[in-house]
Order: sequence, then structure tokens, then C-alpha cells
Amino acid sequence: MDVFRHLRVKRQPDKIVPDSRGLSAEQLAQDSSWPITLRQVNSLPENAGKRIYRALIPPDLLARFGIDPVTWKGPNGDQPVRLRMDPQVGAVYLLVRQAASSSDNFLRLELADNVFNGIDLHLLVIHNPNGPRFDTDYDETGRPTLFGTARRNLAEEERAMQAGLAPAQVRVGLRASELVLRHLEAFLATLGHRAYFLEPLTYASAWVFERRGFAYVRGHKLMGDIHTEFQPGGRLYQALDGSTPFRQREQWRTVRGRAWAIHDGILSVLGQMWNGLRMVKQVGRHAGVETFPDAEY
Amino acid sequence: MSIRRQTTRAAELESLPRFRETIDAACQLQPGIDEQTRYDLKLAVDEACTNIITHGYAGMNPGSIILALDVDALRVVMTITDFGHAFEPAEAPMPDVQAALDDRPMGGFGLFFIYQTMDEARYETTEDGNCLTLVRRLHPAKEE
Repeated sequence: MDVFRHLRVKRQPDKIVPDSRGLSAEQLAQDSSWPITLRQVNSLPENAGKRIYRALIPPDLLARFGIDPVTWKGPNGDQPVRLRMDPQVGAVYLLVRQAASSSDNFLRLELADNVFNGIDLHLLVIHNPNGPRFDTDYDETGRPTLFGTARRNLAEEERAMQAGLAPAQVRVGLRASELVLRHLEAFLATLGHRAYFLEPLTYASAWVFERRGFAYVRGHKLMGDIHTEFQPGGRLYQALDGSTPFRQREQWRTVRGRAWAIHDGILSVLGQMWNGLRMVKQVGRHAGVETFPDAEY
Repeated sequence: MSIRRQTTRAAELESLPRFRETIDAACQLQPGIDEQTRYDLKLAVDEACTNIITHGYAGMNPGSIILALDVDALRVVMTITDFGHAFEPAEAPMPDVQAALDDRPMGGFGLFFIYQTMDEARYETTEDGNCLTLVRRLHPAKEE
């Protein structure tokens, strides 16, 4: 039996593949399980990259808005899909609007190589472009709130909460995260990756990613503690004292209610903040995490 | 026919009873697994998870541990996956269990228990986590 004979924690994890700036036919012909980085894909000519990254967007989602899934042309012949793949950077940005002239992207997906040459999902925004807009992304003076993390627009946030949105949303969702994540996972498997990672922006998004099969690299215990302390009598439950519109007593019952209270800083009663959580999705495996059993969204 | 069970819990000592319950639940569905075998399986998982909790996730807000069991008439295969710091293979000797109590180093006995109770143990670190696979044969004679 040859496992580890002595426990010693590895302080400097290895990269899953060595750094490589380019991608050659010879490399592609090698072992097909060898992961390809986004930086390597980005080194290809733009149209070659487009052929590869096209697999990231579900065709039926584009078709729902009359966008051709191959040419990415909109119903008016415009180009509502934008792809940015910088050959110097291991990151890809996909932005989709209902029409090229629309003010908002209804799908925004940002992927990047991480320091170990694995894949991080930096941003995923999917909303219904036809839903009412809440300007939670800009404060009263027009400065970006960065999803409410840098500053807040309290009046708009309150309106958004009353309308049933979660923190960081500007419109209601499109109920397409499962579809988009399924495509993303198939895309990453094609590149040879076995997992991808993300940092959930809000409690509500962490809960959604749990349902999509993610586990936690960091923060599983915190999510469990949050659930425990939101139970009647718990410290978070007690802190739902009506002191702000985002801390009403009944909010303990729902994912969104908890998410708004956490966005409002209620975790300070536990000596915690909403940061440092990191989640992982193993390709082809549902982890079955459920830190808020039988939750109502 | 193989029985599959999986549970994912936070890497904290309070999760150990849930892992034991999962082992019991899987073993109950497979006739012929005796109490001693169940005890050994639970001991090995307890020790492995305790190492992950106290060393693998040290210094960070603990993440997940995924315990998966595949049980059939011939063997029990348990895979324990975590996403904390990986362990490193090293050449240090196993603890000397014959040594006098005062001369024994602190720790290291969890691995000893695992090696004593399992027929196979494999550890690998890949992109999708650290995975310890433990195999306990139920009827070794039938495999020969």
C-alpha cells in the first residue's frame, strides 16, 4: 500500500498543466485528457476561437431572442453577441444583448485561467431583458456600485427586494442558469478540465450553485452556521430586528430574505463577513450540498 | 448489484456522525457485512476525515468533504474527496506501535489504523480535488 506514509500538507500546489502560450496541432494530437488553458485557446486566430467559444452559449437561449446560434446575428442583422478573447490574457468574455442597441447584456459570462491553470467562472449574469429594471448597479450620484459591494443604492435595492429580486440583480432572472451551466460544463470537458471554480457574490447565488451541484472549497461551515443562526432564537434571527428595511423578522424563512439581510451586513453579529467563499463544480458530478434544507427561494 | 451512496458535509468534526450514518445505511442494504467490518469502515473514515478537518482545511473557512460508497458482494469502496490543502507523500516511517508510550511521537496513528483495516488505499490530487480511495474486500477468497 503506497499512499502517504506521513501527513505533510503541500503548501505549494502544482499547476494542473504547465504554462503554455500557444496551441499547436501537435499539442492537440497528444493525450486528449491533457487540459487546454483559455490562454492557449486565445492564442488561436479569432475565428478559430469563435468556433470553440460558440459552444459556451446554449443555442436555444439565443434562439429565444431570435439570435442565430452560428453567425450570432440578431433578427435585424445586427451583432448582439460580443466575444472578447485577449491573446495575452487567459480570459474570455461573452456578452449577449437582445439587440446590439440594447442598453444591458442579458447574458454575461466571464471565464479565466486561475493560477493553477484551472478554470474560474468570474461572472455569470443571466436576466430577463424584458423585466423591469432596478438601478442597483449605480448609486444616486451615478457611480457604479459593483453589484453593491463597493457602495449601495438603498432606495433601488429596497424596490428590487420588494419586487422579488435578490441582491446584485438588476432584473429578474431568466431561469436559465441550469442550461447555461450545463453547456459550460460540457465546454470545459471538451477542453479537458475536470472542475471549475467560482466565488459566489451573494448568499442567494451560493444557494443556487449548491442546487447546480457545486461543493465548497471554502465556506461550507459558514453556510451551515448561517442556516443554524437564522433559526428562531439564533443570533441572526435575533438581528432581524426591523432596524433597516433589509432586516425584517420574516426574512429568515427564505433564501432571498436571508440574502438581503446578509447583503446588509447582518453577519457582523457572528463576527463574519460575506467574503472568502469559494465553490467548485466537479465535471459530471453533483455534490448534493444542501445547507438550507427544504428552502423556499 | 452495486449500491451507491454519497453524502457531502462541511469539514467539521460535527459531520463525522453523518458520515458514519451513511456507511451504516449503505451496509444495511448489502447482506453479509458484519459488525466488525462496519466498525473498521467507520474508523477508517473517521480517521481520514479528521486529518482533512484538522490539517487539510487548516487556516481557512472549512469547505466540503464528499464521502461516496460503492458496495457490492465482494468489496466496499469508499472515496473521500476534499478541496483543502493536499497531503504530500513522504518517506517518514509509520509510527512505532511497539514503542513505549512515552517514546511515541504525537499523532500519526490515524494512518496506521487506516492501513490496518483497509485492503487498499490510494491518494491522488487532481484538478477536481484530493481523493482518498479506501477498499475493503468482503470475500477475498472468491476473487482468487
